[in-house]
Amino acid sequence: MMNSISEHPTLIEMRDVVKVYSTAAGDFRALQGVNLKVDAGEFVGIIGKSGAGKSTFLNMITGVDHISSGEVIVNANGSPVSIHKMNEDEIALWRGRTMGVVFQSFQLLPMLTLVENITLPMDLCGIFSPRHSRERAIELLRLVEIEEHADKLPAYISGGQQQRVAIARALANDPAVLIADEPTGSLDSVTAETIFELFQQLVTDQGKTIVMVTHDQSLAPRFSRTMKITDGTLENANESEAGSKPGKMRA
Amino acid sequence: MNLRRVSRKTVSVQHVMTSTEAMIDMHGIVKTFKNAAGEFTVLKGIDLTIDRGEFVSIVGKSGSGKSTLLNMITGIDHPTDGQMVIDGTDIYTGVTESQRSKWRGRNLGIVFQFFQLMPMLTLLENVMLPMDYAELYDFEERPRRAMRMLEMVGLGAFANKLPVLVSTGQQQLAAIARALACDPPLLVADEPTGNLDTKSANTIIDLFEELSKSGKTVVMVTHDPSLTSRTTRNIIIADGELINETVAKSLPWLRHRHMMEFSKLAEKRMYSANTTIIPRNEHIEYFFMIHKGEVEVVLQVRKNNETVISRLGPGEFFGEIELIRGGKAIANVRSGSSGPVEVLTIKREDFKRVMDQSPITAREVGIIVQERLDLHRAADSRKRKS
Repeated sequence: MMNSISEHPTLIEMRDVVKVYSTAAGDFRALQGVNLKVDAGEFVGIIGKSGAGKSTFLNMITGVDHISSGEVIVNANGSPVSIHKMNEDEIALWRGRTMGVVFQSFQLLPMLTLVENITLPMDLCGIFSPRHSRERAIELLRLVEIEEHADKLPAYISGGQQQRVAIARALANDPAVLIADEPTGSLDSVTAETIFELFQQLVTDQGKTIVMVTHDQSLAPRFSRTMKITDGTLENANESEAGSKPGKMRA
Repeated sequence: MNLRRVSRKTVSVQHVMTSTEAMIDMHGIVKTFKNAAGEFTVLKGIDLTIDRGEFVSIVGKSGSGKSTLLNMITGIDHPTDGQMVIDGTDIYTGVTESQRSKWRGRNLGIVFQFFQLMPMLTLLENVMLPMDYAELYDFEERPRRAMRMLEMVGLGAFANKLPVLVSTGQQQLAAIARALACDPPLLVADEPTGNLDTKSANTIIDLFEELSKSGKTVVMVTHDPSLTSRTTRNIIIADGELINETVAKSLPWLRHRHMMEFSKLAEKRMYSANTTIIPRNEHIEYFFMIHKGEVEVVLQVRKNNETVISRLGPGEFFGEIELIRGGKAIANVRSGSSGPVEVLTIKREDFKRVMDQSPITAREVGIIVQERLDLHRAADSRKRKS
């Protein structure tokens, strides 16, 4: 069983997660027994070089790919769920309601307007009625300060603006957790900074829990907790100035 | 594949009378981008007509304007000037963004270089999306139709997988299934094989070929010249202008800037059937490229005794032997008996100047000259013996 209710309940727990890929050259252990607990309100940074296992880690935590052994338990709404025990349909619906994912390359649909890109996950999950979903999408665009472009196509706005839209889309179903995969990796440093600040605000102002994967060492002090991933193993990095206790950023 | 006819025109979009053949009919398309450094005109007034059922490749160097041209067709970007009529609909005149978006969802399938599948949706869900947005097909019908689309591209077994768990080639096939979800008459693809290995690329092109044979119009931007041999028509864009297709077909070895030069210099001439174009023993002042119809190269020794040495069709040239070797015409060239002929002509000095700068083309033309001379000699000697 999971922790009993506390001020900062554990939201995500990875237990001895192993992922082995079979290739022509033999088996490759991309994750070698990863353990991680993320509490509500944390802003966790996972830092690693390319090939260290970052993408595999993300695919395990989002349930996009299967684990070889171990368990991933997510307790987003009071009932812990072992995500890899669900079938693919269940996991998709569960993910849509529980997790928002932000990608390095934004992944907006080019033929849909910004507001349509955001109503999409709402229409798929059915938490918000179609009538309500446009209203909410506009609200979310306002939150990421891009409301004026609501009816434009992604091709008309900058990369930084597209990433704001992608963040708004990730928030569409009001998930407890945001997972971000190198969200500033395709942006210039000034734009990257504004996007990072937006994530910080989501933790402090909206009470979101965020797990962000990045190769950017310089971001380490700015997470509430930083982990290093090397050769498929995860370890604590030096604790940061920003504080190591969950929830401290809420102050 | 075709399930039921659905009304796919948005009522509010203006209809234009146009030739029923044309799927795409554009006139004077200009696109100018403005930035801090000033204005830059990427498309300089493009006229282009693409008929139904054609499989067209658009090629050009990076920065030539090929992707911008495609964005004008899809309405993902807007022209600064000009008219774009697609399937009888003027998509820019008096149309709002949301009307265009609705029109696009029902009439256009778009395939992108990087697939652009939604990473958190299964392949089946990705294929269902356009139907949901266009509100086409009954609600219960959509997953069944999406499944049929996936089966058509060979992905039935992967329908419930997320994009990240299938290969990039399979992701592109799924993106094509998605593009076909609403059964659009026009499929537009931007570098669809640019991110794929050769084998996957061939699968994609095979599929496009099949689709065009079944009546879809397919327009594909590519930088891969090996793909252009698979399409029914190839359009080259250079510096925001289209190269004359007859020039490109006749002299495919030329650099794009020389093709463009010939496109601008070329003069059109028309001949009715059975008309002499070049009389034997006259000096030739032009290089001829056939645009339409058929010409006959005829050897005549005595009156009423002639042999047709060869017949040449669209995309072939004549007059080059004399321009290259000097001297007078060695045979008669006349328009064929089947109908009128349209040719493009380049003046002798322009042809020679460009040939002097184009060793590869000069060599290839030289090979053709040699073949034709051999043919001529063989015919001539037979003729004289008879």
